[in-house]
Amino acid sequence: MSYFGAASDAPVVADASYPFGPRPAREAVEQYGRVIADRPMTRVTMPFGGDCWVVHRHQAARDLLADHRFVREPFRTGERVVPFFVQFPDFLRTTLQFEDPPRHTKLRRLVQRAISPRRVREMRESAVAFANELIDGMLEKGAPANLIHDYALPLPIEMLSNLLGVPSSDRASFERWSSSTLAVAGKTEEEIASDMLELAGYMGDLIAQRRKEPREDLHSSLAHAHEKDDSLTDAEIFPIAFLLIIAGFDNTANFIGTGILSLLHSDEQRALLLTDPDGLSATAVEEVLRHGLFERGLPMSGGGNLVPFVATEDVVIDGQLVAAGEAIAIDPSCVGHDPNVFESPARFDISRADNPQMMLSYGLHHCLGAPLARMEMQVAIAELFKRIPDLKLAGEPTINYDHLSIPMTSLPVTW
Amino acid sequence: MPKVFYTQPDGSERVIEGVVGDSVMQTAVRNGVSGIVGQCGGVLSCATCHVFVDEDDLAACPPMTEDEDEMLDVAATDREPNSRLSCQLALVDGQDIHVTIPDAQL
Repeated sequence: MSYFGAASDAPVVADASYPFGPRPAREAVEQYGRVIADRPMTRVTMPFGGDCWVVHRHQAARDLLADHRFVREPFRTGERVVPFFVQFPDFLRTTLQFEDPPRHTKLRRLVQRAISPRRVREMRESAVAFANELIDGMLEKGAPANLIHDYALPLPIEMLSNLLGVPSSDRASFERWSSSTLAVAGKTEEEIASDMLELAGYMGDLIAQRRKEPREDLHSSLAHAHEKDDSLTDAEIFPIAFLLIIAGFDNTANFIGTGILSLLHSDEQRALLLTDPDGLSATAVEEVLRHGLFERGLPMSGGGNLVPFVATEDVVIDGQLVAAGEAIAIDPSCVGHDPNVFESPARFDISRADNPQMMLSYGLHHCLGAPLARMEMQVAIAELFKRIPDLKLAGEPTINYDHLSIPMTSLPVTW
Repeated sequence: MPKVFYTQPDGSERVIEGVVGDSVMQTAVRNGVSGIVGQCGGVLSCATCHVFVDEDDLAACPPMTEDEDEMLDVAATDREPNSRLSCQLALVDGQDIHVTIPDAQL
């Protein structure tokens, strides 16, 4: 991948270049440290969409994400191509992620209460029960198991089905729609178009049904939102429902897989988790989000960023001028290894107390499903290791690079 | 200069000298006070900066908007009559404010 530079046998020179090519994870963290010491951000020419400032330092990232002079309008209107490491799927530009206040505020509030910390706390018991059902299934079937297929994916899909009020038997369709719409390669345009059409039909039916027979679920609140606020149109409501279905589980499944894999690679941290799985699951999840990708036993590149913003005027962040019209984004992995904020950033420590990682972003566009994702990850990790404390890897994971979220598609385990 | 007294659920206290106009949430986040997440950056969309304000300091706080009221209903720790979202508590000159951080924000 030319963007990250080629892997090489030559010794890595102690420099502060960014982006940088694949290297052992610990060396990647050291490189982040040098980059952070050198400058708050780097202007990177992205494979798509041109130049973008990529922010490295934690405080600078927070300043950026809390500053409303940075907006997404030029991407939404199509005036500019989103600077990104892959071609950004078009339909995502119509979703909440690309709205700015005040419309963003109005739309986001519609769904936020349905995925609030409290609502998610109420869902926790059913998540624990379902995780245990899945573990029962794996134990019955016997080792080895593909942990992604048997556990990491079905759990968030079940929770999403509960939240949306749809039968989890629609799971296979969810998986197909999601993988089709988030595919960055390996699918034909016809396949994608046909899957999107099917998803739009499914969603339209669901909303029509909830208008007739409201229930206590998220789609009912969406379906009836226009009664509370008559400025809301179906054209505004549909993309929200759309986003929830296609993005509502795959990142969570990825991080559940990453969390389990990282713990299987660290005997020390796994032993620590086993001393108190429920008590440690919350800090463990924050640490998996911050650093889990670096503990998979795979080389790490430096690059990759969250969705960018565009400066509406000249803004100085941490001494760097970001000129009006320039694009800017954060690299959450780099930000999560800022030694000014995280002590021993290369250390995987599931009991790390202060862990303001930004994998779920920060500010008004922080992950809409964050409370749900956290709860699912906590439950998934705690229940699995409680029930199967001697879980072991039974092979190498498979990763799909043709998909926007670069998911793990298989994680063979035994016990 | 305004002062914020943060009490953790375990009873430990930290006192931070704030900046006029900053919120109690921003002051906590900038100074690494744990237990106040403020993930949305102060736009009332996460309910992760919930605090209990000392009864004596409540009157000096700005009035609660309907949006804050709604978000407090969905915070991780049950709300009390003295609950506020600390992103809405902008500091004024000379103010001392005492807040207690709840057990859970997420």
